[in-house]
Amino acid sequence: MVLDIKNVSKNFGGIHALKNVSFSIKQGEIYGLIGPNGAGKTTMFNLITNIFEPSSGDIIFDSQTITGLKSHKITEKGICRTYQNIRLFSQMTALKNVMVGGHSRSSSGVFSSVFRTKKQREEEIQLNQKAEDLLELVGLLEHKDTLAENLAYGQQRRLEIARAMASNPKLLLLDEPAAGMNEKETDSLYDLIKMIQSKGITVLIIEHDMPLVMKLCDRITVLNFGEKLAEGTPTEIQNNEAVIEAYLGKEEEYESA
Amino acid sequence: MLDFINPYYLQIGSFILINILLAVSVYVPLSSGQLSLGSAGFMGIGAYTSALLTINFDLPIFLGVLAGACLAGILGIIVGLPSLRLTGVYLAIATLGLGEVIRVIFVNWESLTRGSIGLTGVPQIGRELLNLVRGFGFEPSMIGLKNNQFVFLLVFILLFLIVLATIWFVVRQQNSRVGRSFSSIQMDEKAAESMGINIMYFKVLSFAQGAFLAGLAGALFAHVMGYISPSDFSYHRAVEILIFTVFGGSEVIIGSVFGAIFLTLMPELLRFVSEYRYIIYGIMLVILMAVRPQGILDIHLLGRFKGIKRSKGGMR
Repeated sequence: MVLDIKNVSKNFGGIHALKNVSFSIKQGEIYGLIGPNGAGKTTMFNLITNIFEPSSGDIIFDSQTITGLKSHKITEKGICRTYQNIRLFSQMTALKNVMVGGHSRSSSGVFSSVFRTKKQREEEIQLNQKAEDLLELVGLLEHKDTLAENLAYGQQRRLEIARAMASNPKLLLLDEPAAGMNEKETDSLYDLIKMIQSKGITVLIIEHDMPLVMKLCDRITVLNFGEKLAEGTPTEIQNNEAVIEAYLGKEEEYESA
Repeated sequence: MLDFINPYYLQIGSFILINILLAVSVYVPLSSGQLSLGSAGFMGIGAYTSALLTINFDLPIFLGVLAGACLAGILGIIVGLPSLRLTGVYLAIATLGLGEVIRVIFVNWESLTRGSIGLTGVPQIGRELLNLVRGFGFEPSMIGLKNNQFVFLLVFILLFLIVLATIWFVVRQQNSRVGRSFSSIQMDEKAAESMGINIMYFKVLSFAQGAFLAGLAGALFAHVMGYISPSDFSYHRAVEILIFTVFGGSEVIIGSVFGAIFLTLMPELLRFVSEYRYIIYGIMLVILMAVRPQGILDIHLLGRFKGIKRSKGGMR
C-alpha cells in the first residue's frame, strides 16, 4: 500500500468535517475521491499534506506514519499536491514555478549559490532541464518564459501539475484538475494523468467531472457529509444505490450530464 | 589641482552608500515577504557594538565592524524565530517595537553607552586608512591631494566596494535556489511549503541577512561619523529606511538603490528652497504612493528597458 488512511476524523469546532474515514491506495493506481460539495474531500487532502492535523486516526505513507509531520517534510517523503483554487507563484515564469517544485530534490544553500560552486551549477542545469522536460510533458514548453498569471486557466492547471511533478512524488494529489476546463482540455488532461500513471506514480484525484472520473480511476471512494459512503471500481460505484441517491441524484440526471 | 574631489560631495556620497546598504537590509527580508521595521534597531546594535569594542578594547575597526554586523545578524535570528509567525503589518509593528526597545536600552544603560549624550571619539575609518597608507611611505600630496580630500576619497571608495559586494551577493543569491524560495514564500507561503520549502528556515534566513546588513551599515556609519547617539537609531530612521525601499520600488533591488540615492540627494539638492524642502519631500511621497504604489522602478519598467536593449544589441 502506498497510502493508508486509518479511521481519520477531523473536527472544526463542533463541525465534523470527516468522521472515521478509512481507505488505502495501492501502488500505481489512480484513485478517485468524490462526493458532493462540503463532503470533506479537500479536508482529506489538507490532512494528508498536514495543513491541518487530524483530530484522530492515522495516515500511513510507504509504511511510515506521517501524521503530524511538517508539510515540507511530507513533500520530501514523496507526496505533492495541486490546489482546487490554483496557487501558482503568479509573478514567476512558468519555468521558475516548476523549478521551485524541484526544491526538495536539490540542496544548494546560500554559500554555494552565491559563489556558484561546480555542484551548484550542475544542479541548476539539471533542475532547468528537468523543468523543461516537465513543461514539455504538460505541453507548456513554448510558454516557459511567460509569467504564471498570464497563462490561460487550463494552462495554469497543467502548470500546477508540472510543478508538483518536479518534486518526484510517489503519490500525486490532484484537487479538481479538470475544473473550468472545456472538453478538449479535459481529454488532454486524461492523457496527461494516464501518462503520469505510466511513470509509476500513484495518483489520488478529487474531481467533479463524472465521465472523467469513471474513465480514469481504478478505484473510487465516495464521501458524503464527512463519512465514507462507498468504495469500489467505477462500475460498482455507478451501480451503488446509496451513491446514486446521495450524490449522483436520479439516474436520468446523470445520463443527461 | 583636483579640486573637484570635494570633501562635502564625498561625504554625501558616503551617506548615500550607507543608505543603500540600509535600503537593501529592508529589501532582502521583503523579498521573502517579511516587512521589517527593525532596521534602525539593528543598525544601532552594529554601531554601538563596533564603537564600544574599538574604543574600549582597541580592536581594529575591521574586526569591530564585523563583530557589530554579526551580532546584529545573530539578534536577527533570535528575534526572527518567534516573531516570524507574524505576517504583514503585525510583523512591522513588532519589529518597530524591537527597534524602540534597543534604542531605549542605549539611552538608559549609561555606564556602557553614556546614555543620550552618545559616544564620541569613535575611531574613524578615514584616519585609520590614512595611517595605514602612510605606513607604506605614501603621502596624499604625492598624487596632489590634500589630506582631508584623500581621507574622504578613501572612505568613499571603501564603502563603494562594500556596497558593490553586497549587491553582487544579493543578486547572485536571488538567481538561485535560495532566491526562488524567498520569492515563492513572498508570493504564496502555503504553496511554497507544500513544494517542500522549509518556510521558517528561509524566512529567518532572509530576516537575519537583513539584520546583518543593517548592523554592517550601522557599524560603518559609526566609524564614518566618529560620533553616535541613540537618536541616530530612532524610529524616524526606521521609517526613512523603509521609504528608500518603497519609494524606489520594493520588487527589485535596483529600486532600493535608486530610492536611497534619490532620497539622500533630494534634501541636498533642494537646499535653495531651504525650509520648504521637507514639504516638497513629503508632497512627493504622497503623490508617488497615490500614482505608483509599487515604487518608481518595478519589473515591468525594467523589462521595458531590457526589451529596448535586446532589440538594439540583440543581447540576452
